[in-house]
Amino acid sequence: MTATVPPATRAAAGQPDLRRSALSLRRRTTNRVAMAAITLALVVAATPLFLVTWTVISRGLDVLSWQFLTEDIPNSYRRSGGGMAPAIVGTLVITGMAALLAIPLGVFGAIYLNEYGKRKPLARVIRTMADVMTGVPSIVMGLFIYVSFVVVVGAKTAFAGALALACLMLPIVIRSSEEMLRLVPGELREASLALGARQWRTILTVVLPAALSGIASGALLAIARAAGETAPIIATVGLTFSVNTGLFEGQNTALPAQIFRNASQPFAAAQGRAWGAALTLVAIVLIFTMLARVVVSRFAIKER
Amino acid sequence: MNRKLLSRLLLVGVALAMLAGCGGGNGGTSGNNNQSGGSDLSNLSGELKASGASFPDAYYQEVVSAFKEKAPNANVTYNAVGSGTGKKEFGQGLTDFAGSDSLVKDSDGVAAGSFLYVPTVAAPITVSYNLSGVDKLQLSADTVAKIFQTDIKKWNDPAIAADNPGVTLPDKDITVAHRSDGSGTTNNFTRFLKAAAPSSWKLGSGDTVAWPSGTQGGEKNTGVAQIIQQSDGGIGYVDLSDATESKLAFASIKNKDGQFVQPTLEAAAAALEGAELADDLTYNPLNAAGAASYPITSPTYLLIKSRYDDPTKATLVKAFVRYVLTDGQALAKEVNFAALPSSLQQKALAQLDKVQS
Amino acid sequence: MTTQTTQEPEQPALTGGGGGVRAERLFSLWTLATGLLVLAILALILITTTNEAWPVLRAGGFRFITERTWDPNPQTGDAVFGALSFMYGTAVSSLIALLIAVPISVGIALFLTELAPRRLGAPAVTIIDLLASVPSVVFGLWGVLVVAPALVHVYRWLNDVLGGIPLLGDVFGVPVGTGRSFMTAGVILAIMITPIITSISREVLSTVPQANKDAAYAVGATHWEMITGAVFPHSFAGLVGAVMLGLGRAMGETIAVALVIGGATAITPNIFAGGNTMAAIIVQQFGESTGLFTAALIGLGVVLFAMTIVVNLAARVVVNRAELRMRGAAG
Repeated sequence: MTATVPPATRAAAGQPDLRRSALSLRRRTTNRVAMAAITLALVVAATPLFLVTWTVISRGLDVLSWQFLTEDIPNSYRRSGGGMAPAIVGTLVITGMAALLAIPLGVFGAIYLNEYGKRKPLARVIRTMADVMTGVPSIVMGLFIYVSFVVVVGAKTAFAGALALACLMLPIVIRSSEEMLRLVPGELREASLALGARQWRTILTVVLPAALSGIASGALLAIARAAGETAPIIATVGLTFSVNTGLFEGQNTALPAQIFRNASQPFAAAQGRAWGAALTLVAIVLIFTMLARVVVSRFAIKER
Repeated sequence: MNRKLLSRLLLVGVALAMLAGCGGGNGGTSGNNNQSGGSDLSNLSGELKASGASFPDAYYQEVVSAFKEKAPNANVTYNAVGSGTGKKEFGQGLTDFAGSDSLVKDSDGVAAGSFLYVPTVAAPITVSYNLSGVDKLQLSADTVAKIFQTDIKKWNDPAIAADNPGVTLPDKDITVAHRSDGSGTTNNFTRFLKAAAPSSWKLGSGDTVAWPSGTQGGEKNTGVAQIIQQSDGGIGYVDLSDATESKLAFASIKNKDGQFVQPTLEAAAAALEGAELADDLTYNPLNAAGAASYPITSPTYLLIKSRYDDPTKATLVKAFVRYVLTDGQALAKEVNFAALPSSLQQKALAQLDKVQS
Repeated sequence: MTTQTTQEPEQPALTGGGGGVRAERLFSLWTLATGLLVLAILALILITTTNEAWPVLRAGGFRFITERTWDPNPQTGDAVFGALSFMYGTAVSSLIALLIAVPISVGIALFLTELAPRRLGAPAVTIIDLLASVPSVVFGLWGVLVVAPALVHVYRWLNDVLGGIPLLGDVFGVPVGTGRSFMTAGVILAIMITPIITSISREVLSTVPQANKDAAYAVGATHWEMITGAVFPHSFAGLVGAVMLGLGRAMGETIAVALVIGGATAITPNIFAGGNTMAAIIVQQFGESTGLFTAALIGLGVVLFAMTIVVNLAARVVVNRAELRMRGAAG
């Protein structure tokens, strides 16, 4: 008999019905719809990723060839043939130089924040401003190097581009390195200090090696980020159609700048070059990103 | 790998050539040379840097490539940075000559009297459009002005229909494309409208004008061509060379004599004949008289210094510009630029004799 | 000094080598110098760019940001430089980007913190990381050659449906034929700022104490009611910070926007019309500018720099405060 009593009577009897079906239809639907919407958000975000990857790969592969990777850029957009070698070399030279500038400085900056500055007001200010600096638009960084370096020296060079990219990388390296230094257990430092090592030796020989792979992975991500920057390159590096490995002599070019220039051309040849350059750039960025992941996973294993 | 090595070697070669050029400059005894550059170009060596207008860029790049074959040791680069920047860099001495579609103003930073104008080629500025189903279009200057001011918003507007009797125009929105960067092409196009449609055109003229909202800006002639290419119902002004290469359709424009004329090299040449030449060899072929003249024809000039301190530089500049004005003229047609009429060509060559060193 | 030197031989093991003191000082000063580099660069950016733009800023004064005309090469008279149209473009495109990106980003963050089974969590994070690693110029290329022409049809349809309604009809006006418009720029920007808003929101949401959630469940809340009742109130400030960081990124994005926004100097309510932003106009016109014109473009950079610094600084302060308070609550 009791088993067939409708739920309402049960509730009235003072025993709350906790079954889902007891919820009002409105509340149930709201919940369902909301949960579906949340899951849908992920799908919505994943769609452009797949679309852009697919387009870049399918259109880029049409153009990509050994010739594309090794030949000079045609000096007229409408010409077909030629390649992107100057832009590939330019990207590697400029980004490499930027990394050489930004990574050591960034790591030392992080050492200051985590080992010396800690919770001091100055360290807090630097920390916040480094965060703010990651938000400085890249075109502004390009203008900054243009007025403070290109105008002074009187020439657009690969080095100017490297300076601009280094300024963009610096705060990223500082903040990611600091996070890694923070993960190094205090006991390590204490052990080293207790053996009589000074703090600077402790940092250089104990703390830094322990955090090295983490720092390296952060640095690689910063490099990947910098390699894709376009606006500062356009403002500071200029343009060339042939390979230029010199940092200080002559104008240079880079993959992102070439993509930008070729993207607004009506000629199929130029648009093809843009897609090919995009695929090359994405591949370079991906290589650095994956390297970072590999380095991190190694680090994780060591931790255990 | 081999290819890379080759390009390295090439670089070294170019560097050596440059050194050789410099050395020659220091050792040179007398600057004056009577050789007419056309004959033995292969002896020339050195480097020339130039920048300027993007409008004739396609033509200059052809000439640069052809010159390179004749004079393998001479390295000429032309960077299409726009007339304004070209004139500035020329004034600062960063380049050896400059390309410009517009005349030098006081504010350009080039001292008057320090340079000479050399007209090189001319080209029609097309009014290109993209309208499926309409492959023949005629426009009067007034209609063009109203379209680009967005007074006319639809393709089947009575004004357009009046210019095109018997053509069925679709009920489509017009998308106007113009240059987003400062440009000699914009300057010449708007000057034409100002001259030919004074009552309709209200935006004035200049390298940039205040285009109304609802229009689209593209970078360089090619950027404008791309916009037209991409939008059904698009219209914009593009040089003939880029318009042809982008496979755009272009309208016939009503000239001063009331004829609708297609933008062709012949029509541009007719406009050059009808234009009046100033003493410094500048001329204005816009809205020129003559039944066969295409009214939106743009001149373009090279600016060269009237005096080069380095005699080898002077020799090289003269040789290159002479090449542009002689053999180079034949290349113009291939990339859809109009060669100079022979009278003007002779006067332009005479400019070179004024160059001192 | 003398007492120190006499003491040193007695306690060598505790203070290290004799040269250690100097090395230590040098080292710590060097690290301090590199840390200060950040402040130095930020200060230098402001000083050098303002200095370069000064002729225009001084001549234009406040008009530089209230004037809508941008005419660098007038046929007669002086050049007029007004940033208003570009500030408008920056504001509109960023706003559209936020309207699209915020619900999606917060949704993904909720998915990761509240819903996702472990197996799905890691791939979801990878998707977001990959999205963040695509260079902006690649989005621009894709935007101008693929997305914009495809979206025109959607815009035409929206204009047909909504165009007749007053007010709404102005906003969803006649689309340009290429699709390069405020709206397309907003869509591309939304894709680009989704990763940063997601990752910060996720950090913020994960600090909500379990106790708060349990309390909500205990009074009979559904999953969604728990989120609106316990998670959102607790993390609201942090989420605002995340949104502001996204805004800062959207305002400064240059290349992708320059390719898809349509390059027109215009203030119009029509989001399907072309426009321009501060960052985009700089990169479009910088190469061909001279003299005062260059100074004016750099002036735009100064205004942009100031605006992004304010937004970013405010966002960081908000996020840091929120995180501190939440840590306190959780502890």
